[in-house]
Amino acid sequence: MASDVRVSVEALQENQVQEVSLDGQETYVQPLSMSENLAKLAHRIDFSQEDSDGEVQLEPGEEEEEEEEERKKQEAHWPWESIRDKLRTSLVETNVLLDVLKIAKDKKYMVLDPVSQEPQPSKPVLQYVAKKESLSGAADILQKGADRLAKSQAEFSSGSRGQGDFHRELLKLRQYWRLRRAGNNILGDLSFKSAGSHYWHSGVFEVVKTTEEGMAPGSSPLEVRIPSDLEGNAYIQVVIEDQLETIIAVKAALLPNSRREAAPGEPPWNVKLEAAQNVLFCKELFAQLAREAVQMKSTIPHLVVGNQITSQIFPGVQLSIALCHNTVEEDSKDDTTSPQRCQHNHVLEHALHQMLREVHRSNLNPAPPHPVTAPFSSSKKRRVAGPQGLDRKQCTQLQETEGLLERLEKQAKHTLLRARILDMIDKLAQEVNDPCLQAHVSSIGTSTESSVRIIITSPGYEQICKTMLHVNIGVEDVKVVSKDGKVITLSYDEHELRDLLLHQACQHQVNTVQSLSKMMGWQILHLSNHVGTGPVEKLGNASGIMMASPKGDRVISVRNSPSLGPLVSVQLTRQKGCETWRSDVIKDTKWDQVGGSFKPVQWDKAKGRNFVNKIELLMGCLT
Amino acid sequence: MGVTCVSQWPVPDGKSGQQAVEMLQRRLEATGATKAGSFCVDCETYMSGQSITPSKTAHVMHSTGHPLTCFAIMDSGTCLVADSNFDQLMTKLKGFYAPRKGAKIEVKGPRYEYVDFIVKIGTVTTGPTASSRGILVEVEYTPCVVPNDCWSLLTEFMGTFMGDNKPAIPQVLASKQDGIYSPTDTILQYLEHFNNYRKSTGNK
Amino acid sequence: MSGGVSMQEYLLQGSVLDSSCETLLHRLRGLSDNVDTGPEAFVDQEMVYILRGSQTPPVMLRARRALDQPDSLPWQLRYVGTAEAGIGDKSRSTLVRTCIDVATSDNVTTFLTDMGFRLDHECVVKGYLFTKGCIKVTVSKIFRVTVPGNTENLEPLSLSHLVELSVVSPSGQDEVADTMKLFAEQLKPIVQLEKVDHRRLQQV
Repeated sequence: MASDVRVSVEALQENQVQEVSLDGQETYVQPLSMSENLAKLAHRIDFSQEDSDGEVQLEPGEEEEEEEEERKKQEAHWPWESIRDKLRTSLVETNVLLDVLKIAKDKKYMVLDPVSQEPQPSKPVLQYVAKKESLSGAADILQKGADRLAKSQAEFSSGSRGQGDFHRELLKLRQYWRLRRAGNNILGDLSFKSAGSHYWHSGVFEVVKTTEEGMAPGSSPLEVRIPSDLEGNAYIQVVIEDQLETIIAVKAALLPNSRREAAPGEPPWNVKLEAAQNVLFCKELFAQLAREAVQMKSTIPHLVVGNQITSQIFPGVQLSIALCHNTVEEDSKDDTTSPQRCQHNHVLEHALHQMLREVHRSNLNPAPPHPVTAPFSSSKKRRVAGPQGLDRKQCTQLQETEGLLERLEKQAKHTLLRARILDMIDKLAQEVNDPCLQAHVSSIGTSTESSVRIIITSPGYEQICKTMLHVNIGVEDVKVVSKDGKVITLSYDEHELRDLLLHQACQHQVNTVQSLSKMMGWQILHLSNHVGTGPVEKLGNASGIMMASPKGDRVISVRNSPSLGPLVSVQLTRQKGCETWRSDVIKDTKWDQVGGSFKPVQWDKAKGRNFVNKIELLMGCLT
Repeated sequence: MGVTCVSQWPVPDGKSGQQAVEMLQRRLEATGATKAGSFCVDCETYMSGQSITPSKTAHVMHSTGHPLTCFAIMDSGTCLVADSNFDQLMTKLKGFYAPRKGAKIEVKGPRYEYVDFIVKIGTVTTGPTASSRGILVEVEYTPCVVPNDCWSLLTEFMGTFMGDNKPAIPQVLASKQDGIYSPTDTILQYLEHFNNYRKSTGNK
Repeated sequence: MSGGVSMQEYLLQGSVLDSSCETLLHRLRGLSDNVDTGPEAFVDQEMVYILRGSQTPPVMLRARRALDQPDSLPWQLRYVGTAEAGIGDKSRSTLVRTCIDVATSDNVTTFLTDMGFRLDHECVVKGYLFTKGCIKVTVSKIFRVTVPGNTENLEPLSLSHLVELSVVSPSGQDEVADTMKLFAEQLKPIVQLEKVDHRRLQQV
């Protein structure tokens, strides 16, 4: 046995390193002493296992294998008699067991009966059962999957709607809308957050598969569930109203028609989602406007009541902005019952959209910092504010940003002002035939500024004289620039411009007469745009001209005023034949030239197409 | 932002600084100027520690006229115009630059507006006790940035309420001539006056 | 950005080889806010100044300006503190350090020299800037300036790009760190963004 073989046991040359300290010092594990080593090895032997295994290894010769493995141990055990004794007893026990088994096998003297559930024999059985179960479970899952695949394959090939359609629709939906998966649900996002909105509403919608029974023919297998507060349709209504009537009304919504039918080939969910997004957009827009209305300080405070903001833009003119949100389906009559008397203003509507989008954009894209370590700031100007030493006024200007409402009001004012002024000019041009008023509205302008060029001419005499005025319509005032560069600022009252134009028309006629007299060789004695004599005018001053015929014996005097119209008088020198004037004192014929009194011309009876024409004819007959 | 002139206003004998300020205010109001808030310019002086040779002085100044700005002036004359964050930076340099004790100097007072002119009348105070040192008058003509173009207008205006005590052209303005006036120039004028006050108190 | 609030920088850094930089830019472009405008290119010059003292620890300031933009933009003077305690702390997902940004006038280099600072080194940083909410992402290449002061003669420092994720916010807002970590996760296979302990780097 083991005692025959000589084995020398040596400790390892190098001790194991227990740890390396931070200074590089290695601490070794102290080598074990002989007895410690033995104890350690002895611990490794699993005696119980030996007992159970021992039943097969009966013969000492066979046991040698085991002994072989643990030769070292045995060698070391040798002084330990008890170990060998235990092994011996175990051998004896196994021998006995073998005998018992042999006897039991014959079933003559002994019968083995199952007493209790022995762990050993039952173990593999249990494992088999468990394996079987799990395998069948896996098979079930695979089978189900295969069934589903087969089903969808069949559906796909047959073209019927169902699961496959749902996925195709989902793919389509994914192309237009943001979707994400949360657990078993598919959630979508119709908010403007990704575009820079800071509105509180999450705008989450849910995508569900239409249940089989609820599916009507022609409906989509995919259904979207939108939050209840985004249902229906909404628009922002902007109305400018006089005390008497509505002047301009604007319905602003994301969609041109709040209730539109699905375009051919368009899935029904898209309509629903777009409508919901429209509601969200309107809500955000209105929330922003209402917030500004409350914050804004103005002489006449803004009224925010429920879903309506009211403010005064001009005396007696109100701007009201309302959020109209219809959640119920039956409201479509409302549109038809209120006939749209007033014109729809596309510019104002567009402005509303644009402004909110601009806010979004600026939220998303602040001025990029340069150099990049610079902090984010609202604008480039803010960043240089410190180093450039901006003063108090400039700093407050920096912080002041025009709100949406303020801009909307400005645009509304401008729109209204422009409408009024153009209307006035149109009426005036109809009213005043002589001279002619032509108005050219410039197509280029901004939402708060536009311009009109007014040309005053006398028909037939356009080449002689032309009066041009440039009218700049602003937000609250009107600026008129005349040809000589003079700027006249007028208030928002369009009558002021009317008066000015009437006055200009008068002046124009006098100026034309002046040019005409030059061409006809008449001599201008006097010309004034603001005649100081005569009756007091209701507006402005009359303009007047006096001119003498080439010979100097006739004088025409023209006084033209907007309120009284033209007043033409002619002065004739004394009649030549009238000798009674000749006295002894006045002998010289030159005194014949001294004018007599002016005689008014009955102007409405004078011949001629228009004023200038009449003057020309008059001049002709007096020359 | 326009051209500014800062000048010293002598306190007449037998009158307190407060009375002198009130008199100026009355005169200004008589010309039609309206009071528009108050103003304050302060200056903190930092001395370098031993680690920096030769020793240096840095003045850090703020003005309510330039609310977002902090001015830092070295004794070499370099004037850095920076954000108001600069103050925090100075605290990080406290191992090198420490504020000189009792050297904080401040000018405070009412601010007047008269069409294009802004007039500030301030009492100069120093130290923690805020003892009064004198009066400074700042006159700014806002529409112009070229000193030469508007100096005569400025002096004429100053004459209306300062009388014979109106100042001669400050050094900073005289050297600028046709150059463009910057906020730094105002601050440098204040600093010069502050230094004068310091010197005069040092002599006493 | 008032003077009183102390700001902190939350920082994650990483680097990416030039060859895979393009991939990263594409990825960032998709993730960041400025999708429509595209990445913002930048070329900055950075000059690092140090003030050394015998007793006190040295102070380092970084002066930076944009080279590709007109001169109207200010210089940025930046003080960056050492990383806060807890760099090894696993619960903190980013490096946190105090940070003072001051916009200054263009004479800042003269001013710093006058204060006693010495130019330590300078470099030119070229790259792209992305933003995602309050997060600033820069992908940049650092160039050595071969001739001092001449920003034309450049030599790349390495074959990779520096990627930085940073947020500057008032102190105590630790939740931004988590947001940054989440964002960094999304860049993971291309670039590994980590908190880098610069002190340890200096010791190596």
